[in-house]
Amino acid sequence: MSGAGFLVDLHRCVGCGSCVLACRIENGRADELAWRRVLPLNLRRHPGGPTYFLSVACHHCGEPACLRGCPSRAYEQRADGVVVHHEDRCLGCRYCEMTCPFGTPKYDERLGVVSKCHLCADRLDQGLAPACVAACPTEALRYQGPGAVMGADARAGVPGFVDPAGCRPNIRFAPPKGARRVVLFAALEKMVRR
Amino acid sequence: MLVTLDEHGGIARIEGDPSNPATGGHVCLKGLGYARRVGYRDRLLTPMRRRRSGGGFDPIAWDEVLGAISERLTRIRATNGPSSVLYYEGSGSHGALGGLSMAFWRQFGGCTTTYGDLCWPAGLEATRLTYGANIHNHPRLTRDSRFILIWGHNPAETNIHQWRLILDAQDRGAIVAVVDPRSTDTTDAADIHVQPRPGTDAALALGLARIIVDAGLHDTAFLGAHAAGFEQYRARLADYPVERVADITGIDPAAIHGLALAYGRTRPALLIAGFGLQRHHRAGQAMRAVALLPAVTGNVGVAGGGWQYANLASHCLRELPLPPEPDGMRAVPVSQVARHLETLTDPPIRAAWIERGNPCSQNPAAPRVRTGLASLDLVVVVDQFMTPTAECADFVLPAKTLFEEEDLVTAYWHPYLQWRAKIVEPPGQVKPESEIWRLLCERFGYDATWFPVDKIAYLRQLLPAGHESAFEALMERPLDLSGRGDVAFADRRFPTPSGKVQFASDEAAERWGVGAVPEYAPLDEGHSSALASRLPLQLLSCKTRDRIHSQFGNLDWVREVERPHVLDISPQDGSARGITDGARVAVWNDRGRIELEARVTPGIRPGVVHILEGWCHEGDPDVNALTAEGVTDMNHGATFYECLVDVERI
Repeated sequence: MSGAGFLVDLHRCVGCGSCVLACRIENGRADELAWRRVLPLNLRRHPGGPTYFLSVACHHCGEPACLRGCPSRAYEQRADGVVVHHEDRCLGCRYCEMTCPFGTPKYDERLGVVSKCHLCADRLDQGLAPACVAACPTEALRYQGPGAVMGADARAGVPGFVDPAGCRPNIRFAPPKGARRVVLFAALEKMVRR
Repeated sequence: MLVTLDEHGGIARIEGDPSNPATGGHVCLKGLGYARRVGYRDRLLTPMRRRRSGGGFDPIAWDEVLGAISERLTRIRATNGPSSVLYYEGSGSHGALGGLSMAFWRQFGGCTTTYGDLCWPAGLEATRLTYGANIHNHPRLTRDSRFILIWGHNPAETNIHQWRLILDAQDRGAIVAVVDPRSTDTTDAADIHVQPRPGTDAALALGLARIIVDAGLHDTAFLGAHAAGFEQYRARLADYPVERVADITGIDPAAIHGLALAYGRTRPALLIAGFGLQRHHRAGQAMRAVALLPAVTGNVGVAGGGWQYANLASHCLRELPLPPEPDGMRAVPVSQVARHLETLTDPPIRAAWIERGNPCSQNPAAPRVRTGLASLDLVVVVDQFMTPTAECADFVLPAKTLFEEEDLVTAYWHPYLQWRAKIVEPPGQVKPESEIWRLLCERFGYDATWFPVDKIAYLRQLLPAGHESAFEALMERPLDLSGRGDVAFADRRFPTPSGKVQFASDEAAERWGVGAVPEYAPLDEGHSSALASRLPLQLLSCKTRDRIHSQFGNLDWVREVERPHVLDISPQDGSARGITDGARVAVWNDRGRIELEARVTPGIRPGVVHILEGWCHEGDPDVNALTAEGVTDMNHGATFYECLVDVERI
């Protein structure tokens, strides 16, 4: 991973939603405008696959499609890789909604602009972790600075998450552990790759 | 937790306290939710009086409401005596000052209170009988464990701070095994998961012990020096060969073998039990059987090992100074409030005062608690929100939140006593409960000097002898005043009658009328009972990460991330009843009937169904319409999980 971004430890995440709430408290965006979401995989516990949760926000891509598609230059990529959206420059054209393959930018009908996760850039500049990371009670969600060296098992994609458009999303996943889930995860990965 | 206020004095941000070693400076979802709860739009800010007709409530001034309440209380006492008033307190907004209510009731001449607990008492008594005290290793030593056996517990949802430490241990190579009839966030991450029939834990524990002893994996040195009655216990194990245990529990014999050998061979091994396996009337004996496993394997007094159930190390405060107890005190088991509202005589219950609790949702036979309250001459409820219980009141008094009065708070799991600072003034007309009781005392002309004028000075004198000077430090960070060190029973001295671990307990036999050595006996309302031919499904009503019982579920923030109230049913039980995912179903037994949506999940054991407890908004299932008013074999607990039902598609 070259730019700053998140690492989600699929073993430690229990999908509790504290990150969603912490983001809401920090950034004030809620409901369908929330910047962070928790996507559960196999909540009903089908025996053919593992159960885990993907806590996702903006991936602060190496090749941000939102930025490329923006006619008003509302997007900016900082030196550390954080992709910041400036709402004061936003025309509300919603092109970025279409170009981002992850559905990250959220259009606010009331204000007529989009908004998205800025990795709590202000907090980063003060040496603090992003609000969602600070709140994670199991330390499953972690911040990775630019050029961070990943553990050998960190993955760029897992079942339920792929990079469809070559955007080089700066998100990494630590795979699940626990004897049963490891087997189920391996089987699922094989299926997805095929 | 650390709180940041905004410019209007509202709660802007809540963060974990890094000086608390148990939480690692993290907050759970509920903790974060306080940022919403304190100033929430539905919060009660003024006393309310029920309208004479048409339903609903109108605001009323404090002076007027206290006048009306005291006039009615006086009248009821004159006719039926003080114990015709039920005083019911739950454990919500828990703190030392909660006990001040008794300064009023004792001067009133008495009242009817409740004894026992809905939550955990059978396990507490089982642990006390076995080890002499409810203490356990410091949470951080969980990391040193090589094998963690989690039994009837779902810490990934209900103790997220403990779960963090278990994950740390697993990252360091520990094996995690879980005993739970359901699949949960905890079992997902486990290495081993066995799913017994609810209520058969005693048989499983004795069966595991039998295999461990037969394989010679028991710790003969520890048992020789520190066990009382081990030979009687060993003789009892002869009744639990693996084939019989498999038959009782419904677990494959090979899985029982595998679990026993893995637990017996790996050291240090930690056994963490939840409250789930002690919510039936054989709870105490089941808990004793499970609690003995760490002693069999010599995992007691060892870092990374031990028996972890409840930690009362922080429960060290002195008793509140109170007036002497009058003759008019009476008490009923808390799990049987509905029955006693209906049937108590000499005197009957004519009035109820309810605070820090929500019995109309959370107690067994909750609908009968509601009709019982409706038949009374006076119901007063103190709460922050309009709960199902507050809806039953004649007068609702607005309660403080934890940020609005100083207090001292004890814990259930870590050893720390904590100072709770007053951060904001109570909003609107809200008064702390201690102030409500003081005003009521004044109105009755009672001695109000039992109530603190200077709360900080008052709370300081509650610290245990010799620790008064720790108060300033306590205001800065959580403190362990127990002086016991991090490893419980490190000295192998057990405050039991024998000074050893009680494998046989005459005290259990004398006090509770149970066998001196724990044994398995089937539930009256279990899988093998006669009733099961008509109502074949065992209902569990477990706790979720999103709420503390019925608290927090009313907040929009929590509802955004919460899990739905559905009936979990296995594919086998579902297809036998024509139930598919999302089908509307009725769940019923002889006590009640509720309707909700079904989720067909292979994760739950066939023969078992599950609904989350905690009714907090319109449309939630009233699961306690189905539960029974039983009492546990020890210590007056409730029997929520001894509940047979059937389900049909509607």
